[in-house]
Amino acid sequence: MRARRTPFVLGGLALAGLVGYLLVTGMRDAMLYYLTPAELMARVERDAGFYGMGVKVGGRVAPGSVRYDPVTLRLAFDLVDIERGQPRIPVRYEGPLPDTFGDGRDVVVEGRLDRDGVFRARTVLTKCGSRYEAYTAEGR
Amino acid sequence: MLTRLGEVALAVALPVALWGVGAAVLGARRGHAGLVRAAERSVHAVFVLLLLASAALVTAFLRDEFAYAYVANYANRELPLPYKIAGLWAGQTGSLLFWALLLAGFATLVVHQNRHRHRDLMPAVSAVLLGVLAFFLGLLVGPSNPFALVPFPPADGRGLNPQLQNVWMAIHPPTLYLGFTAFTVPAAFAVAALVTGQLDTRWILVTRRWTLLAWFFLTCGILFGMMWAYVELGWGGYWFWDPVENASLLPWLTGTAFLHSVMIQEKRGMLKVWNVSLILATFLLSVLATFLTRSGLIESVHSFAQNRTIGTIFLGALTVATLAGAGLILWRRDRLATEHRLVSWLSREAAFLLNNLVFVTAMLAVLWGTLLPLLSEGVTGQKINVGPAFFDRLTQPLAWAMLALLGIGPVIAWRRASARNLRRHLVGPAALALALGAALAWVGVRHRGAWTTAVLGGFAAAVTLAEIARAARARARQGGRSLPAAVAELFLQQRRRYGGYAVHLGLVVAFWGFAGSAYTVERQASLRPGDALTVRSPFGPIYRLEYVDLSWYPAPNMTKLAATIRVLRDGRPAGVLRPEKRAYRQREEVSTEVAIQRRPLEDLYVILASIDDPNGVLRGTNPAPRIVLKALVEPLVNWIWLGGFLVALGTLWALWPERPTRRRPGPMRSRPRRAGARAAAAGVAAGVVLFGLARRALGQPPAPVPPAVAEQEARAAMGRLKSPYCPGLMLTACPTPQADALRDSLRALAAQGYRADALVEWTVRRHGAAVRAWPRPRGWELVAWLAPPALGLAGVAVLLGWWRRRRLAPADAAPPAALDPVDRARLEAALRDEGWA
Repeated sequence: MRARRTPFVLGGLALAGLVGYLLVTGMRDAMLYYLTPAELMARVERDAGFYGMGVKVGGRVAPGSVRYDPVTLRLAFDLVDIERGQPRIPVRYEGPLPDTFGDGRDVVVEGRLDRDGVFRARTVLTKCGSRYEAYTAEGR
Repeated sequence: MLTRLGEVALAVALPVALWGVGAAVLGARRGHAGLVRAAERSVHAVFVLLLLASAALVTAFLRDEFAYAYVANYANRELPLPYKIAGLWAGQTGSLLFWALLLAGFATLVVHQNRHRHRDLMPAVSAVLLGVLAFFLGLLVGPSNPFALVPFPPADGRGLNPQLQNVWMAIHPPTLYLGFTAFTVPAAFAVAALVTGQLDTRWILVTRRWTLLAWFFLTCGILFGMMWAYVELGWGGYWFWDPVENASLLPWLTGTAFLHSVMIQEKRGMLKVWNVSLILATFLLSVLATFLTRSGLIESVHSFAQNRTIGTIFLGALTVATLAGAGLILWRRDRLATEHRLVSWLSREAAFLLNNLVFVTAMLAVLWGTLLPLLSEGVTGQKINVGPAFFDRLTQPLAWAMLALLGIGPVIAWRRASARNLRRHLVGPAALALALGAALAWVGVRHRGAWTTAVLGGFAAAVTLAEIARAARARARQGGRSLPAAVAELFLQQRRRYGGYAVHLGLVVAFWGFAGSAYTVERQASLRPGDALTVRSPFGPIYRLEYVDLSWYPAPNMTKLAATIRVLRDGRPAGVLRPEKRAYRQREEVSTEVAIQRRPLEDLYVILASIDDPNGVLRGTNPAPRIVLKALVEPLVNWIWLGGFLVALGTLWALWPERPTRRRPGPMRSRPRRAGARAAAAGVAAGVVLFGLARRALGQPPAPVPPAVAEQEARAAMGRLKSPYCPGLMLTACPTPQADALRDSLRALAAQGYRADALVEWTVRRHGAAVRAWPRPRGWELVAWLAPPALGLAGVAVLLGWWRRRRLAPADAAPPAALDPVDRARLEAALRDEGWA
């Protein structure tokens, strides 16, 4: 009976190895840190290798910083930490202006911070999660 | 007072459920039939109480009782009636109540079905079902009470999230929840089998249909969710590896694995531990999915609440349940010993085993990616996400393996396949698939992933079709029937097998659709009125989209801004599209309403991405603003829906109760059922005839009718027409003067005796097919409209059918049906073929 099991074990191990390999390489390419602007700046200060890494940053659009060209669809604004109000990270994005985007809005940007200190976003999402539930489920 | 009653009902249901668990356990231990019956009666009682509580909550919605926090959060006065009813499952606490209600309904059905059968298993089954119910009731009475009050009731509620205000809201969540809850039944039987030690195949045979039914609802739920995402989320995709989508996929993956692996246990007595574990995992993943959907622990488009208490309780309960399940299996491991060993890797057992490995691996990969933000935050304090690229990369090779196995599995011989068996079934299809691959490469398909998917799918489809054709030919030759008749006979007589083949074919069609997405073309441009955007379809045609103008309309609860886009396909006019932006007053939110032109090979998907200066539009200072228009051509996307429906229909086919004569011997007892079937058939036939007559009547010359009748007909017609002057609004609601004029002309025509149908046709001739709010009752349009609700109804019909067959004799008492000579000849040929005789 032992001998019959070996192919199973081998087959299982091979499959596990393959999936493990895919898991690890897939993670490396698709991994996204979820950070606040303050955390992101602290991170790149400590480790310059963090520039260019895929990140998701949740922050607030600094009032008065929005520039948008409706013809070229180029959007530029500064992102600030929601709690501390700084640091300011300049963000560049190309595409239609997201719905309800504007000064003081909370947004989540996905992209990477380049070495020139500019955040190039692939997506800009306006957040409205908090307004889905005005009263908490406990009825407070 | 009904609402108060609902609260009381919930509070009573919890102790009743707990008493039921105790009674079942005690009754089983002492062999006291009365106690067991008492437990079963408390199942019924809990169901009735939950029904009461749900009715109370719906009533609160209908009466706008905003003193209830839940009602205030998910409705407002202007919300249309259907969405108020759907409020029951719009948020966290309501969903939990709805879950419990559905489970209680299923539990009642199970108890009823097995009043005279499987008495040894039933106490444990009741105890498990009631235990799960008690858990949900505990949440509902405690931390997640749907009847919690707001101290200062607001004048109006907050309304429903605009993205949920869609027909699918009425269909998708209930279907998904039906699937989740139905998996509890086979899991309860598995636990019962473990507890009682009755670990033969009985629990599997008893719950086979339940598993299929759960799988059917889950599949439909996932499919409907994809269709919803496609029309509502406004970016042209249907699946984006959102945590909640993933959550619904997890039990689907293990459930699919289970559907296959039980066949090995039935046929060969192998994989007993595996099967018990799989069904328990499926149940636990269903609960996980429910809680991920509504707990807000993981960020997602679906999770609205941030109630972490619930999340913690759920996680704790899941952990305890997992440990308990593992403990039970360990305790019974001696009775779970396999009866046979795998003889060869070239056998159906091995193919099924690999299929299971693939499905479970896929489940683990998706689970890992989904829970990663939670896990990484717990371990390192740092939230880490993985994007769609991760899931795509991991699941793609697994999907290929699945497609290949889908081809091999159904035709490879049990135990040990001979070279002849493999040659005979696989060489032809493999050659066909390679020819398909060459053809695809020749026409320019260069995308490796899409090519591989298409070729493997082609292989699987060819094997399946060849197998059906082979069986049909044998039957036609030996029975002297025509080939189509033989195919029909096969499908009628071996529902499970041929329903399964239909499911396989549907999956292949859907995968071809997925492969098509590799060739999606996306263009966007900033346009002024008069400008145009051009998109070239991968199939050749060139679409030119001209921005004509932008108009805005007030509608209940929102303001709509709609761009008029004239479509030219290869230079020929191909209709007008009206993509919209909707600004909701209640929630200061904006939603995007896409416009889609569907064709068999491709969809033209148009998004009004943004409007420059929308306030200027509303004030009238900037009537023709610049817009950003996005257009996608999505090849083969309709194949996904088509394949999905084929999967659902195949499952229904396998699920549909067999003909009563085969199950219940004795002409006396089968007669009433036959009569019932005849009556149903006659009813359908009469309906068709009446329908035809009604349509014929349209053409007849009218005669003047009394004003009341005329008004009725005119109103009926308006109820089926969208206004040509207010995009998206029904004619009855459109406030413009042109609409008034149109309504007057319809009334005048109605007074002359024209019926509603004729009025609708008259308007369509004048204003184009876009004004038709309901589909014309013919062709593809009708199918697309009716398929989802029809599938849902069919599932419910199956349930009702089970309820009706309550006086059925025990299934195992039926004598095996004798093989007819044709089948015997086939069997012998097959046995010879596989080297058995």
